[in-house]
Amino acid sequence: MKSIIAIALFCAMLPSTGRTGESDLRVAAASVLARADVFRNPIDSFSVDVELTSFAPGGRTDISRFRVFGKGSDRSIVEFTFPQTEKGKYLLMLRDAMWIYMPSASRPIRISPLQRLMGQASNGDVARTNFSIDYDAKSVAEDGDAFVVDLVAKDPAVAYNHVRLWIDKQSYEPRRADFYVVSGKLIKRATYRQYGTMAGRRVVTEVEIDDLLRPGNRTVMRYANLTPKENAEKMFTKDALGKW
Amino acid sequence: MHPQPLVRLTDVARTYPLGRVHVRALTGVSLEVSRGDFLALAGPSGSGKTTLLNLIGCIDKPDSGRIVIDGVDVTPVPLHRLAATRRDTLGFIFQTFNLIPVLTTYENVEYPLLLQHLPAAKRRDRVRYWLEQVGLSDQARQRPDQLSGGQRQRVAIARAMVGEPKLVLADEPTANLDSVTAGKILDLVEELNHRTHCTFIFATHDPALMARARSRVRMHDGDIVTEPRLEARAS
Amino acid sequence: MLTKLAFRNVFRNRRRSAITLLVIVFGAVGLILFGGYKAITFRGLRESTIRDRLGHLQIYRRGFERAEAKKPLEYGLDDGAQLRRAIESDRRVRMTTAQITLMGLISNGDKSETFMATAVEPRKDRAMNAQRLVAGTNLPDAEPDAVIVGKGLAASMHARPGDYLTLMSTTTSGSLNAIDVRVAGIFTSGVKEYDDRAIKMPLAGAQQLLQTAKVERLLVLLNETDDTDAVRADLDRLFARKQWALEMKDWSQLATFYHQVVLLYNGIFGFIGMVVFGIVIFSVANTIVMSIFERTREIGTMMAIGTTRTSVWRLFLLEGLFIGIIGGVAGLLGGAGASSIINNAHFMLPPPPGYTQGYPLRVLMQPGILITTFLVAVITSTLSSILPALKASRLKIVDALGHI
Repeated sequence: MKSIIAIALFCAMLPSTGRTGESDLRVAAASVLARADVFRNPIDSFSVDVELTSFAPGGRTDISRFRVFGKGSDRSIVEFTFPQTEKGKYLLMLRDAMWIYMPSASRPIRISPLQRLMGQASNGDVARTNFSIDYDAKSVAEDGDAFVVDLVAKDPAVAYNHVRLWIDKQSYEPRRADFYVVSGKLIKRATYRQYGTMAGRRVVTEVEIDDLLRPGNRTVMRYANLTPKENAEKMFTKDALGKW
Repeated sequence: MHPQPLVRLTDVARTYPLGRVHVRALTGVSLEVSRGDFLALAGPSGSGKTTLLNLIGCIDKPDSGRIVIDGVDVTPVPLHRLAATRRDTLGFIFQTFNLIPVLTTYENVEYPLLLQHLPAAKRRDRVRYWLEQVGLSDQARQRPDQLSGGQRQRVAIARAMVGEPKLVLADEPTANLDSVTAGKILDLVEELNHRTHCTFIFATHDPALMARARSRVRMHDGDIVTEPRLEARAS
Repeated sequence: MLTKLAFRNVFRNRRRSAITLLVIVFGAVGLILFGGYKAITFRGLRESTIRDRLGHLQIYRRGFERAEAKKPLEYGLDDGAQLRRAIESDRRVRMTTAQITLMGLISNGDKSETFMATAVEPRKDRAMNAQRLVAGTNLPDAEPDAVIVGKGLAASMHARPGDYLTLMSTTTSGSLNAIDVRVAGIFTSGVKEYDDRAIKMPLAGAQQLLQTAKVERLLVLLNETDDTDAVRADLDRLFARKQWALEMKDWSQLATFYHQVVLLYNGIFGFIGMVVFGIVIFSVANTIVMSIFERTREIGTMMAIGTTRTSVWRLFLLEGLFIGIIGGVAGLLGGAGASSIINNAHFMLPPPPGYTQGYPLRVLMQPGILITTFLVAVITSTLSSILPALKASRLKIVDALGHI
């Protein structure tokens, strides 16, 4: 299986011979993507603990911790667990919308796409990007021991219009992803630094996200305690936020 | 003499407050004045002669009694409603002349005619006539402050007569004049009384004026002391 | 007769009448000058609001105001060209210009701030005069990624003309976008809160950032502000005829600050009017009361010889009226004279917020102010004589005659 794909991808480096070549490529690329995604989103319904450390130039570090509940590729709830001041807050991330619930407010607040540009919400967007579902592979190249796949957003509403993804040739583990916006500007870079075993699977355990608009600013996310969990559908609604 | 008196007062009394004291100016006075009479109300100050004059002149109201002027009982009528009576039937001459300072001689004399709503031509004729009667035709355009005392009183007389009143009331008309001027004024008034048969009532303590009166009423402490007598004028 | 009497009585006591008239004249001159200052301030503010910022009319897609757009320019205007041609064919129209307002993040590589941008057509924006440059130049005509930045924002970004910054926003479809922009100039609007967030960018640059060809609104500038209502009516008819789904607002509906200033100044004017009113009332009433006191015997005489109470009342009322008319006319002349002096003297006022230069004090003489002032003088004078006149008419004849 692997070799077929590898060959298919390798063939794609040659000048295109026709449509069949391209569609083969797409199918191949899609499956590569799917395999890459597996390392990042292995279980459909789960919970995982995330520790987020942000670094700024000058050495300032902030640490926050969350518990994330996910279902499918497009629904998750982030429960803030650390520091103490943030405890009790929840983020609801759906495909098209993001909501925050704070205990001091009586109702959850919708976060606009613009506001998601700011702060850690933007990293959340990056972290949960589902390449195989939201993107089409446009081209593949080689870079040392990795495939470099260029992905273009399927939907014009997707945050990052273009992603360049490095995938380990052997293991199909994603190594790095560069995120571009419509104008072609490179905004973020995610480096998948460490892998480990959780819930019986090999998964990404540490991601570093660089903010390329503000060099020197980066965030490291560490995952632990990935657990399959039966998360009810209705949990992932705005009205349910904060009520449990 | 006409049978019906021009003025009849029956038991008229008037008390007015002066500070905390009540002054009984008139205490039940009765009086009749014939038409065409030239009557002097004589008495010292405080005798009530001015008050009596005011009551007849319809500028004051009695506390009790009845006042009939030219056949009309004016007692129940409020003073401000008697303005027309004063305008048409009465004329006033004051000790202090009381001309309107911003009006000329002509205009001061004309004033009562405007009150009577006389048309312009008639007014002109009357004013000119009366200015001539009092001998002030040449002073028609002058204002009171440009006239002598005697001249001012003549203007006042013209003003009092111009409306052809039945009765002219004068309170001490010669008190502010020297004796020569006063004499001339009295001559004028007497002559007017003879010619027009307009009734004149004076309040005075000027003996010269008292001497010229046809009738005399003496007053003292709010009451009449003597009856009016019809006498031939002493020469 | 009464008229003659009243008129002559006004001049009876020259000095007292002169003082009363002077009071009225001062009051009238005060009202005229402040009214004139108010009028010219309004006009200036109105014109600068319109010509620098709002335009006389703004045109949007129908539904713009009520809609809650979830995405930028969801209610934007599509085809500007035909619409603009139609509007500009009217001789009363000076020009039209398209604008977009948008928000996003601006970054200098070190930190990000939120920005609020007005995207304009550079040449037309220069014809308007909304901001004062403190450094650099205005937006160049054909450089889509040049921007001018508000003073506070520039300081926050440590940006000087020539530096590059990054603007980030969301496109009309909801995707993220970012462009690098060159700071062409730094401006100030006079309002610190605005300068801390504002940038101006070319329309083309905004459309690129938002990935759209639409505009948010069309501004229409006329040659004469007085034409606004007529042009608006004509445009409404045009839109109906062509069945264009548009909605329109005029400057008056948008100029909230202007209306607040108008309210404030009118309030102050009203207050001053009240004060003048009060002073004139007291002065005239005092004059009439003293006049009555001095003429008590005369009044008694007049009533004795047959003048009615009503006539006495009317006489003094007329005197008050004449004082008011004479004072009013003198006040108008005085006001006209004072206005003329002020307008020619060029007294310099300190610069208003946002400006560095002062401007000369001028007042505008408007018929409305003159009429109002005259009426105030006449009415207050007449009113103030009502009660004293009534008292005069109620005098007891005997007491009046006995008065010294």
